[in-house]
Amino acid sequence: MMTDPSLVVQAAWLVPALPLLSAALIAAFGRRLPWHGAEIGLLAILASLGLSAAIAWETFTTVDPAPYEAAFAWSPLGGGFVLELGMLVDGLTAMMFLLVTLVSTMVQVYSREYMHGEARFTYYYAMLSLFTFSMLFLVISNNTLQAVVGWELVGLCSFLLIGFYWEEKSNQDAANKAFLTTKFGDVGLIVGVIVLSAGMFGLTDTPFNFLETIDAAVAGQLSTSTIVLGMLLIFLGCVSKSGQMPLHVWLPDAMAGPTPVSALIHAATMVTAGVFLLARLFPVLAQSATVMAVIAVVGVITLFFGGLLALVQDDIKKILAYSTISQLGYMVAAIGVGGYTASIFHLFTHGFFKALLFLGAGSLIHAVHSNNISAMGGMRRFMPHTFWTFTVGSLALAGFPLTAGFFSKDEILIAGDLWALNGLATGTAVYWVGLAAAFVTTFYMARAWFLIFFGEHRGAPHDDTHDDGHDEVAHGGHHAEPHESGRQITVPLMILAVLSLTAGLIGSPFAQERPNFESWTSTPVIEETTYPFLAEFATAGVGVSAAEKGPSAKILHGPPSWHPDLLLIVLGVFGGAVGLAWRFYGRGLPERDPMLQMGGLTRVLVNKYGFDDAGYRYVVVPVRDRMSAWATRISNDVIDGAVAGVGTATKRMAQTTYTAVDQRIIDGGVNGAAFSAAWWSARLRRIQSGDVQRYAGALVAGVILLVLAFVAVR
Amino acid sequence: MSLVGPLLLATLLFSVGVYGIIARRNAVLVLISVELMLNAVNINLVAFQNLLFPAEAAASGQLFALFIIGVAAAEVGVGLAIVFNLFRNRASVDVDRVDAMRW
Repeated sequence: MMTDPSLVVQAAWLVPALPLLSAALIAAFGRRLPWHGAEIGLLAILASLGLSAAIAWETFTTVDPAPYEAAFAWSPLGGGFVLELGMLVDGLTAMMFLLVTLVSTMVQVYSREYMHGEARFTYYYAMLSLFTFSMLFLVISNNTLQAVVGWELVGLCSFLLIGFYWEEKSNQDAANKAFLTTKFGDVGLIVGVIVLSAGMFGLTDTPFNFLETIDAAVAGQLSTSTIVLGMLLIFLGCVSKSGQMPLHVWLPDAMAGPTPVSALIHAATMVTAGVFLLARLFPVLAQSATVMAVIAVVGVITLFFGGLLALVQDDIKKILAYSTISQLGYMVAAIGVGGYTASIFHLFTHGFFKALLFLGAGSLIHAVHSNNISAMGGMRRFMPHTFWTFTVGSLALAGFPLTAGFFSKDEILIAGDLWALNGLATGTAVYWVGLAAAFVTTFYMARAWFLIFFGEHRGAPHDDTHDDGHDEVAHGGHHAEPHESGRQITVPLMILAVLSLTAGLIGSPFAQERPNFESWTSTPVIEETTYPFLAEFATAGVGVSAAEKGPSAKILHGPPSWHPDLLLIVLGVFGGAVGLAWRFYGRGLPERDPMLQMGGLTRVLVNKYGFDDAGYRYVVVPVRDRMSAWATRISNDVIDGAVAGVGTATKRMAQTTYTAVDQRIIDGGVNGAAFSAAWWSARLRRIQSGDVQRYAGALVAGVILLVLAFVAVR
Repeated sequence: MSLVGPLLLATLLFSVGVYGIIARRNAVLVLISVELMLNAVNINLVAFQNLLFPAEAAASGQLFALFIIGVAAAEVGVGLAIVFNLFRNRASVDVDRVDAMRW
């Protein structure tokens, strides 16, 4: 137990708070500042980065760190039901902090040059800060409800940034598509959160708390149906957010946003949210073989078929988008085969090299004024820095030995292999499909690499500049020859390139036994938890040491070790793929791209398996044409009718009250009193004739009457 | 001596006074009619005192009559002053035309 958490860990709330503050400040004062708000964003994110690094170091070096938790509790309904606004800091949080703030910093530095002269520059920076805040808020949360809030904020910010060039209809459509597709999964997420918390009522006052949920699940206090239903619904949210098939369709379209935003979305602040949430709740989902199998199957399908789609793309950003889908598939599949460490390790390294690749692609687009690799070619001569950094990123993505991607992807394959030893077929699938997808990955990256950097410069046809890369408009003008980007673009590329080479070392066999990546991101719960459905292996005592090959019910696989057989296979795959790509594309873009000459396969891939068409035909059109018509009718007839009816009834009642009560009774009474007074006085006043003798006569007459009356009474 | 004589006289005087007040137009005559009525009362008071309660030592009937004579004198003073001012303003003392204090 970490009895006295250090000051930096206690101050972890500052990490998300600073970007939020900066977003507000930029929105308020950004326009009047010399850098139009970029300086606030940079200062805040640098401070967050510094703090994140300190927290990362603290959690990394502490042996057996227990999670640090602090929260404001709020009990709006009373009766043992507490909502929390809190923070949970452990190795996983610290890892995500480091990744998010680092990539955000690079993106913000990079954007200063890339977005220079943009009309909505200040707005852009405010949104970047808000985006970063949203993700950090999700990462730091200590309960599922707060995580949902952060999750939705992330979705909102991505919507705003994907639709940044909202003047064009296609960009609006892309933003709407991203928002609505992820929103579909978010419904699953929130229902899942509720289902999971429903099992926690009665056990605790804080049914949404992560740690308590995990403890209850591990202790077997949650029913199987709660876990299966809850986690599958939460996984639906992850499917949409993390671009798993079949809800990946928004991710390639999300390329409509500015390229640095794509880097941010793909590396740090958006698509990783789903994997992060799965990792956070890993001990819960580890209770159910069903859930893990579903996750693994979805991941395996995504990692292979998502990768295939990148083969036929011409748009560099789309290639990277599909590779992201594929890599996310690896992470999700790893979760499904018990590769907790492998999954988040890949998340960590992938963040760096995918950010690098996107920023490099942005640099190329900036220079060439086109997104299409067919318009590039020979770029290594014009842009040497972009060339070598992009090469490093591609190598890491392809998993070339000793790069970051190699260690993390191998971890996933090994996790699959170990899972297979437990007798579960999903492990075998992850291992072999993962290897096949590695071949595909290497091939499409090599294809892009050859086409971009080698051969002759093909130049950008004018029409393509208006295709979907609107980024270059700000720069204005059309250059005869591409040239290297400025230092604010290349320096982030170099930093990320170095990280893409080295970040994998902390989870590699080169690392010490402890601390390494595994000990960093593990928690006491994860170290002790076993898969209940594998209990027979644990009791059989076959695999005592996790590091040894053999069935094991433990989550952690122990420190990474060398796998020469896998190394050889990976090298062979890499060589084969690059060789094949070189044969096709080594001498520039062939007349007929072989990727587009594969008959039916090409057709299927170009149509993206028909997901987009089917989605359009069976989801968008019915919703738009029928459901919206119903909704309109219900709105117009039922709701408006009810509102109008209530209004009319009220009006009529008021009218009745007015005429009957107010006008007749009250006003009538008042007026009647006045009128009768006037009527009587008009008649009675005639007595006051002013004639004294008449008064005297009346007096005498009165006296006579009185006397007569007196006499009569006597 | 019988009460009939004085009472008849008082009634006669009173009736003449009433008639004068109601019927005469001259303000001075109206005042005189008031005096007639007062004196009719005086006759009544004196007559009742002397004929019904002759042993009464306080002789309150006569006493009241004296008071009434005093009051009548004052009343005539005030009345004549009003009549004079009326005459000065209108050159007439016709009571019928003094009806400014009407509705």
